[in-house]
Amino acid sequence: MGGPAYDCLTNPLGAVRFSFVNALSSGYDPASSVGKDWGVVDLFRHYFSDESAISQVPILDSSSIKWVQPKTLVRFRGMIQDMLGNEFYAGAYKDDSTWRTNKYSDVSQFPEGSSTEIQVWERRLLYCVPVPGKNQWTECSSQELKNRFLDLTGQNREKRVRVDEEMTDSMDSSTLEAGRNGSPFKKMKVGEATSSASESQVPQTSGIPPATSADSLPCLVKIYDSPESDLKLNDVVEFLGVLTFDPIVMMDTDTLDENSDALSEAESVQMPSEKVPRLHCLIHRKLETQHFLHGSSLLPEPKSPQIFKEIRESLMKYLTGLLGNDHIAAQFLLLHLLSKVHGRVDNVAVGKLSLNLIHLNKESMSIFGTQLSGALKSLLPFTQSIPLTIEYLNTASFGPKKDYGINRLMPGVLQIADGTHLILDETELQPGTLNSVGVENANLLKNLLECQKVEYDFQYYKMEMATDVQMLIFSEGKSNIMPADLVLPLQPSQVNSLEVITPETAETWRCYLATCKSLSHSIGQELQQVVENDLVAARQTDRSLGSQDLSRLLTMARMISVSYGETTLSLEHWQMVLELERLRKERLK
Amino acid sequence: MASDSSPGNTNDGPSSPGENVSSPIENTYSSPAALHRRRRGRSSTPTQFATPPPPPTRLASSNSTPPTSRPSAARSNGRNGRGGGGGGGGGDPGTPLSTDEPLPSSDDGEDDGADDTTPTFVWGTNISVQDVKSAIEMFVKHFREARENSEDLFREGKYMVSIRKVIEIEGEWIDVDAFDVFDYDPDLYNKMVRYPLEVLAIFDIVLMDIVSTINRLFEKHVQVRIFNLRTSTSMRNLNPSDIEKMISLKGMIIRSSSIIPEIREAVFRCLVCGYFSDPIIVDRGKISEPPTCLKQECMAKNSMTIVHNRCRFADKQIVRLQETPDEIPEGGTPHTVSLLLHDKLVDNGKPGDRIEVTGIYRAMTVRVGPAHRTVKSVFKTYIDCLHIKKASKLRMSAEDPMDVDNSLRRVNEDVELDEEKLRKFQELSKQPDIYERLSRSLAPNIWELDDVKKGLLCQLFGGNALNLASGANFRGDINILLVGDPGTSKSQLLQYIHKLSPRGIYTSGRGSSAVGLTAYVAKDPETGETVLESGALVLSDRGICCIDEFDKMSDSARSMLHEVMEQQTVSIAKAGIIASLNARTSVLACANPSGSRYNPRLSVIENIHLPPTLLSRFDLIYLILDKPDEQTDRRLAKHIVALHFENAESAQEEAIDITTLTTYVSYARKNIHPKLSDEAAEELTRGYVEMRKAGKFAGSSKKVITATPRQIESLIRLSEALARMRFSEWVEKHDVDEAFRLLRVAMQQSATDHATGTIDMDLINTGVSASERMRRDTFVSSIRDIALEKMQIGGSSMRLSELLEELKKHGGNINTEIHLHDVRKAVATLSSEGFLVVEGDRIKRV
Repeated sequence: MGGPAYDCLTNPLGAVRFSFVNALSSGYDPASSVGKDWGVVDLFRHYFSDESAISQVPILDSSSIKWVQPKTLVRFRGMIQDMLGNEFYAGAYKDDSTWRTNKYSDVSQFPEGSSTEIQVWERRLLYCVPVPGKNQWTECSSQELKNRFLDLTGQNREKRVRVDEEMTDSMDSSTLEAGRNGSPFKKMKVGEATSSASESQVPQTSGIPPATSADSLPCLVKIYDSPESDLKLNDVVEFLGVLTFDPIVMMDTDTLDENSDALSEAESVQMPSEKVPRLHCLIHRKLETQHFLHGSSLLPEPKSPQIFKEIRESLMKYLTGLLGNDHIAAQFLLLHLLSKVHGRVDNVAVGKLSLNLIHLNKESMSIFGTQLSGALKSLLPFTQSIPLTIEYLNTASFGPKKDYGINRLMPGVLQIADGTHLILDETELQPGTLNSVGVENANLLKNLLECQKVEYDFQYYKMEMATDVQMLIFSEGKSNIMPADLVLPLQPSQVNSLEVITPETAETWRCYLATCKSLSHSIGQELQQVVENDLVAARQTDRSLGSQDLSRLLTMARMISVSYGETTLSLEHWQMVLELERLRKERLK
Repeated sequence: MASDSSPGNTNDGPSSPGENVSSPIENTYSSPAALHRRRRGRSSTPTQFATPPPPPTRLASSNSTPPTSRPSAARSNGRNGRGGGGGGGGGDPGTPLSTDEPLPSSDDGEDDGADDTTPTFVWGTNISVQDVKSAIEMFVKHFREARENSEDLFREGKYMVSIRKVIEIEGEWIDVDAFDVFDYDPDLYNKMVRYPLEVLAIFDIVLMDIVSTINRLFEKHVQVRIFNLRTSTSMRNLNPSDIEKMISLKGMIIRSSSIIPEIREAVFRCLVCGYFSDPIIVDRGKISEPPTCLKQECMAKNSMTIVHNRCRFADKQIVRLQETPDEIPEGGTPHTVSLLLHDKLVDNGKPGDRIEVTGIYRAMTVRVGPAHRTVKSVFKTYIDCLHIKKASKLRMSAEDPMDVDNSLRRVNEDVELDEEKLRKFQELSKQPDIYERLSRSLAPNIWELDDVKKGLLCQLFGGNALNLASGANFRGDINILLVGDPGTSKSQLLQYIHKLSPRGIYTSGRGSSAVGLTAYVAKDPETGETVLESGALVLSDRGICCIDEFDKMSDSARSMLHEVMEQQTVSIAKAGIIASLNARTSVLACANPSGSRYNPRLSVIENIHLPPTLLSRFDLIYLILDKPDEQTDRRLAKHIVALHFENAESAQEEAIDITTLTTYVSYARKNIHPKLSDEAAEELTRGYVEMRKAGKFAGSSKKVITATPRQIESLIRLSEALARMRFSEWVEKHDVDEAFRLLRVAMQQSATDHATGTIDMDLINTGVSASERMRRDTFVSSIRDIALEKMQIGGSSMRLSELLEELKKHGGNINTEIHLHDVRKAVATLSSEGFLVVEGDRIKRV
């Protein structure tokens, strides 16, 4: 293999092997390395150091799965839904005194029979699903890539004359095989259709935890060389790695009985590879909102407050329109949209700002609620809405629950990625009886609202997972089931027809929101004194103010400040907060 | 059998799937343990080691294979084996061989050459079988526990005693403490942990030898069970280098399979002549059916059939173990691992049990399908169990006051702390500001309320319970009541204590009924038997029962608490069951004032609406009032500002984290039992007398009780708890002083008579302060005077309002304002005396 002997894009395993050979010659010893990386990660990191290179890699989803070829490089963007523990695999073996590696591939490649030396290495298994509540705009079209890819594989097919057992070619052979059968994943369409579950449906108790939307494609990601603390449950991550398809694995299904099931991870049983593709991760990165934006990165920081101001104004205008010209509500909504948990001390999640818009009934909900949720969908990457009806509360499973029968974590409605926006519609709630499930669910919601934590049920014990969810509640009166940080009566003066926004504007606003959310924030010494004095004064006049109320004022101050693209709190903004709070109080009277 | 692929069985070709009925692991592609192979390979070398009949080792019979047998093993196996009839499969290149993978071992190959000349080395290692064997023999025969006297030198060693015992009871195993092995021979210990398969097999053989010298006729195979390894691994940290090593880990059983009978010995019968074969022992999970009848006369081909009811089976079970919650890092899900249990270990635990397992970590290859010879490159891992220790059992026997049955809390089994932790605690306890530090660490996110926190801390540590020979009990538990305005983080404090305390039960007064709190007699619908079901208080025996919204509890439920809070038992006499259950629990209750905000004009009793009888059972009653205080507000504001601007963590750096705190508390509760020093006792007496004296003001005719005997008990408990915090065995004078201070602080707020500003225990005990009573008396007498003056018996009636006017005119000796309801009360008193008759709004003399 001379020159650029490998193509990271189409033959990643070739690249892996090539670098392995290189590493061997420079003294890498597989026998003592415990599978430590020998430079593959750096190689790929370097190759994909800029965004344009990454965008060349097709994204694995339910549509691209039909044409993406196994053993090629793909990207998968998803949320870590479950962790399946570690897997031991034959990482390296000696083939006539030369070491070969199986890293980043599924099937055993070592020639059995001869007395081979085999090194056992380990890798982590993560079960990932597309982020629940992902909005349309976050997906990038891969039509272009598809065409390019089909071309490429077409060429390959022609080139190939015969199939060689030689390992270096095995990737191509599989490709060929796959090419012949069309796609190995063809079958999955059938399965998909039956298991499609809408967002609000109760998860079925089939082997595969149902995905949250109809056309979602889960993926089993195998992670190498990454510290455990790097990837956490519910993280939104982009994995870049080798897609594999293991045709033999399917055969397991019919020969398994209860006993073997008990010892084996039962992973292949519940996740036949035609439904859940495997991805051997080479590199990964956590995704922020800006990664979903097309082409543009974040706004230039504070240098240009003017830009921030302009965008803020236009967005405010839009939001005000949505809320029937209620300017104050729009202000609060903007602050709410910018909120994010940025610290935790014991049970207090600092930075959360849930909003409860009241004085809404079913009719007004159908106008403002729909408009608003539609608008939010186009502004935020992940949004979900939960209708609060007695029936839904009584039947849905909100908290994720571990099913020991299949050793999987069954997702609940509240297993959502950080930064998700959640709309709770209480206007639909009718008087009725909650059963135990309903009570549990209501408690989960309350806990989420108060502490930003969701309890995961592991049957023998429960574990609290920290989340960061923006919650917007619509209700007629103040919601007692869900005590929000801010309660504000909506006072629309007129109903506006939905304003059509251009994709560019939407993009700017998304970008604005993402940038503001990521801004840091601080406070000057002087102002700190002012704030403290104001808080003390407020408490002296109104004894009912608790620490939560004071905390909320500071959160609002932060949001106002960042909404203008500023990183330090100014007196002006602080006074704005007090004024807003005063107006809100007035409305509540 | 299908699941066998060792080099020795290369000739069977694809085995039929029907054969592997008894194999628990269908699609595994495995071979017997390295040991077994070695034995066979060695059979040509006449060593002592090879001679004993291979006992049905539990390890060998688990038909799976470590992927890590050393390469030298494979090689020499091939060399030796062909002659020795062992596993000579190395030559066949087409045979799948997945089992002999190398282990990164520095010992590898060292003995390769020496293999045949020095016959007894363990494969691929520098372990000499003879050395190990003699080391084990020495250990078994001569190990004595250190605490045994030197006079006992000629007594038998610890394990010889247990061997004799095993023979006597015809047991099947002896438990060997790994610590003993380490103490006696660290080298042996290391070998055992690194090469458990080999060393344990030798251990078993040594045991057999010893057993047979003691009792020739003893037939059972005695096995060794190692437990209590020096290091315990966390499930998360298991990695490929642990394969084939002895490990020990803790976890919780989440699932166990049904018991699988596994064939050990098979008997065949000839269908032609009816000849029964000798039992054929399972070899590497495989039984070879004799191709012809073994009877010389018959020799019929393919006539042998297995006779199931004459075969010997052994139990086997697969159990799944999951990490305990405290080992899971943030943002992770619990890991699990499979356990393989054999024979007596089967059904040793059920789902939900916390166990500590000692075993050998093993990995096996997974065959793609029963008809496939190819294997996946993935290994399935499991632990071959040697020993299971149930954590819960241990706790029960330890009578540990801090033990826990709630898995959420971590106090639990680690009460036997390792030395390092203990030293750390000792150090901590010696710090002069330990009391302050502990109270700071308690609910650090709740502001102020320092004295309340100190009181709660005392409750956590608790006093000493005293059982006199006469049968009198004095409780050691401290009961606390928090009364306060809404929004003063009472509930948060409660939740925190609940989280921290052992066996805490958290209930809400509104949702609790009497039976729910105490105990409940139920009839089993099927059998008709009456059964007792424990309520919250019984369940929190030796813990803290947190009751929120105490004031909203129904009266009947509250009345049940009387017994619990002083006698510490729950008595039931119902439906044929008369029982008295222990409820040695501290009660931490919190209540809102009846008018939602505390009304300083009313007494505590009126504010809380609790019966005084119950109230007096609380050692400390704290009033958490939201008083406008600029200083407090400023601190709060500062705290919140800090919280929002990144330096939140620095504010509480000194706090002790919750895990340390719980272990500290549980250690202290278990091990420290302070006694009153003379000096402290004197101080107690002096202080008590003073407290009682304080009620008597010179020149005051009213009698105010400021302290009751209950208080002195409380004081003793509090000072004991304070001494405990310092790990001190003696209650010192300053403990007593602090206890007095705490009591005073708590009582000052709750037992202040607002009319006079003095502490008045009558307020707690009867709900009416002495001065209030005096005022009422004067009232009544002046009304009587008025009535005598203005009304005739049976004469005209008088309106209450008129009476009030009269009183006000009269009011020489009543210096406070008079209200109509005061008048009403007084009139009621008079009418009960038969002096007046009340008719609606009017009164009449009779």
